Amino acid sequence: MPKRILVIDDDEHVSSYLSDLLGDAGYETDVAANGQQALALLEKKRFDLMTLDLEMPDMTGPKFNKVLKRQGRSGDIPIVVITGHMGLKYVIPNAVAEFDKPIDREALLAKVKEILG
Amino acid sequence: MALNLLLVDDEEGIRRFLGMLLKDLGYAVRVASDGAGALEAIDSAQPDLVLTDIKMPRMDGIELLKRIKSRWPEIEVIMISGHGDLDLVIQCLQHQATDFVTKPVNEDILDAALRRVAEKIELRRKLSEYTQNLERLIKEKSDRVVELERQMAASQVVDALCQALQNLSDEMREEAGYNADMPCYIAVHNRLFEVVSTNRLYRERLGDKRGRCSWEAYADPARRGFDNPVCLTFKSGKARRSREMLLALTGEQLPAVVYTTPIGCKEDRVELVLEMAVDVSEISRLQEELWLTQQKYQDLFDETPCYIVVRDKDYLIKANNRLFTRDFGDGVGRNCYSAFRHRTEPCPECPVSRTFEDGEPHHKESVVSTRDGREMNILTWSTPIHNTEGEIVEVMELSTDITEIRKLQDHLTSLGLMLGSMSHGVKGMLTALEGGVYRLESGLAKNDMTRVGGATESIKVLVNRIRNLVLNVLYYAKSREPEREELDVAEFGRMVAGIVEPRAQREKIVFSAAIGEGLGRFAVDSGNLSAALVNIMENAIDACTADSGKDSHTVALRVDGDEREVRFEITDNGLGMDRETKEKAFTLFFSSKGLKGTGLGLFIASDVITKHGGAIRLESERGQGTSFSIRLPRNLSAAGAEAGTAN
Repeated sequence: MPKRILVIDDDEHVSSYLSDLLGDAGYETDVAANGQQALALLEKKRFDLMTLDLEMPDMTGPKFNKVLKRQGRSGDIPIVVITGHMGLKYVIPNAVAEFDKPIDREALLAKVKEILG
Repeated sequence: MALNLLLVDDEEGIRRFLGMLLKDLGYAVRVASDGAGALEAIDSAQPDLVLTDIKMPRMDGIELLKRIKSRWPEIEVIMISGHGDLDLVIQCLQHQATDFVTKPVNEDILDAALRRVAEKIELRRKLSEYTQNLERLIKEKSDRVVELERQMAASQVVDALCQALQNLSDEMREEAGYNADMPCYIAVHNRLFEVVSTNRLYRERLGDKRGRCSWEAYADPARRGFDNPVCLTFKSGKARRSREMLLALTGEQLPAVVYTTPIGCKEDRVELVLEMAVDVSEISRLQEELWLTQQKYQDLFDETPCYIVVRDKDYLIKANNRLFTRDFGDGVGRNCYSAFRHRTEPCPECPVSRTFEDGEPHHKESVVSTRDGREMNILTWSTPIHNTEGEIVEVMELSTDITEIRKLQDHLTSLGLMLGSMSHGVKGMLTALEGGVYRLESGLAKNDMTRVGGATESIKVLVNRIRNLVLNVLYYAKSREPEREELDVAEFGRMVAGIVEPRAQREKIVFSAAIGEGLGRFAVDSGNLSAALVNIMENAIDACTADSGKDSHTVALRVDGDEREVRFEITDNGLGMDRETKEKAFTLFFSSKGLKGTGLGLFIASDVITKHGGAIRLESERGQGTSFSIRLPRNLSAAGAEAGTAN
């Protein structure tokens, strides 16, 4: 059974890219354009990993993380931060990896493989 | 001196003869014919000497002698008799007659007798005079002794007072520094308005006035008479306090507070007055200095070309300077964040609040708008104001208008720094572009045409985004004057609308363009101005797509104008802005769009419009939407102007 990854990014060009890239590597993906959509999808489906953009129109990455924590989900699903703000890379303390934009494609795939086994 | 003489005889012949004889001897002579007439004459004329016959009718000479001596013992009486009767002589002498002359009167004997009497009178007069003089002298001397004693007592009082004041001053000198500079002149005055005694300092500064008039120390001519504190205290018997000017030995006038007190009062009569004058020239000088210093600080406060606000812990403005009042209105009693920044709650990272916390100066840069709507970049510095206990009671903030500096800095900022500031925006675009290329390649390899189509669309959008960025950067890097060409306004408006419309449709936003006919022509840099307007409209679209609070969204462009100017109005019902965002909207590198913004767009749009001699204003309400209004002068040449109105 393929592993499921939730891609969270408000830029549709970036999210479709990540979705295709991870899909080509054999993962099943879902895309959320903002925090609310992501939370709704997490309610409905089971995910093995999520990639998180730190800037979304409705909530920031840290805020999103806080909501997760409140719902008791924190730690369930590994988070990979993908951001253009490398200065902000440690604002999600429980993230398993951080990637700077533009993304080093090979490194991202290697990391995802390492996490999901 | 001629003696006054009264001659009494009942015989007319003797009166005449003796009268002539006595006048010849140099006496002033009156006559009486009997005893009663003699007593009357004595009573009215008070003669020194009476010469009387003994044998007279009614009242004889002896009887007259007795009466004279009983009433006027000092009047000398010489008896004249025709009889050399020894008994009679003795009787006369017993009754204190001075001499006895027999008839017929021998001129020489009479003269000698009269001389003896005159000598006696003179002797007695001298004796009396001596006695009187002696008495007076004794009285004078004893008065003097009393006065001296009194003055000595007064001197002792003054000395004791001076000593007491000196001690007091010595004690105080250790506490406060300026007691030595606050001299005290002490004098005692007597009721003849004379200075009786003074202290050393009085003599050194005002001169030795002992024995002089009480008012000599006063400088005011009106005081140099009886209308001065000393004389008034003598008059009223009451202590007084007044401000006076004293005349120093150097001719300089010393301001002083003068206290006068009656002392040594006897039977409701003031004997002496104690006058104490405290020289306040040092205090006056210090007061003036203080006033000048305060004035200087006030001027400094008011005239400093910065906005100065003093506020307390509760965000209440305690004071602000003139410049602040001019540009932001009087802030005293208002909250600083409302007066300065039009906010309803304290600003984040307030440097003043930080200074209240740690007592250190802090600074912050921000954008504010004045009451006439001007925007400015300001740099605010905060400094604590301590009370005497060292606690921070208020904090002063100085804000400098750095709009011009910012502009200058902005233009000097290197491209590298600019790209650094925009790096995350650029990174986002690169990521998306790489993604597009990956999807295009992988789509082609997999023959997945859906993916290829999507990728192509992405790449187109991104190329457009990057193109705009590059154009903005180029515009910014090479700031130039607009290259104007004359264009038809309506045509230009439709062209701009045409650029934006497809994107609005894609985003499901109702786009409307109300472009009137007969709008005429204007002279503008078409490339720059269209980029600026497109930028604003794209912002409007972004504000709509990011807003999830409404069912439908609209972006409207309206173009109209009159003879002088052309107006563009761009209205959306998207997110809207809060006041702070509104104020920062035209600032370089300020973006409310996160990764998608570079902070260049509106800054450049506003710059382009300003360079065209126009103005841009924005109205916005959070949750309601935003409206930009742009006014541009037609800027036509004379010929073009005609064409403009003709159309």
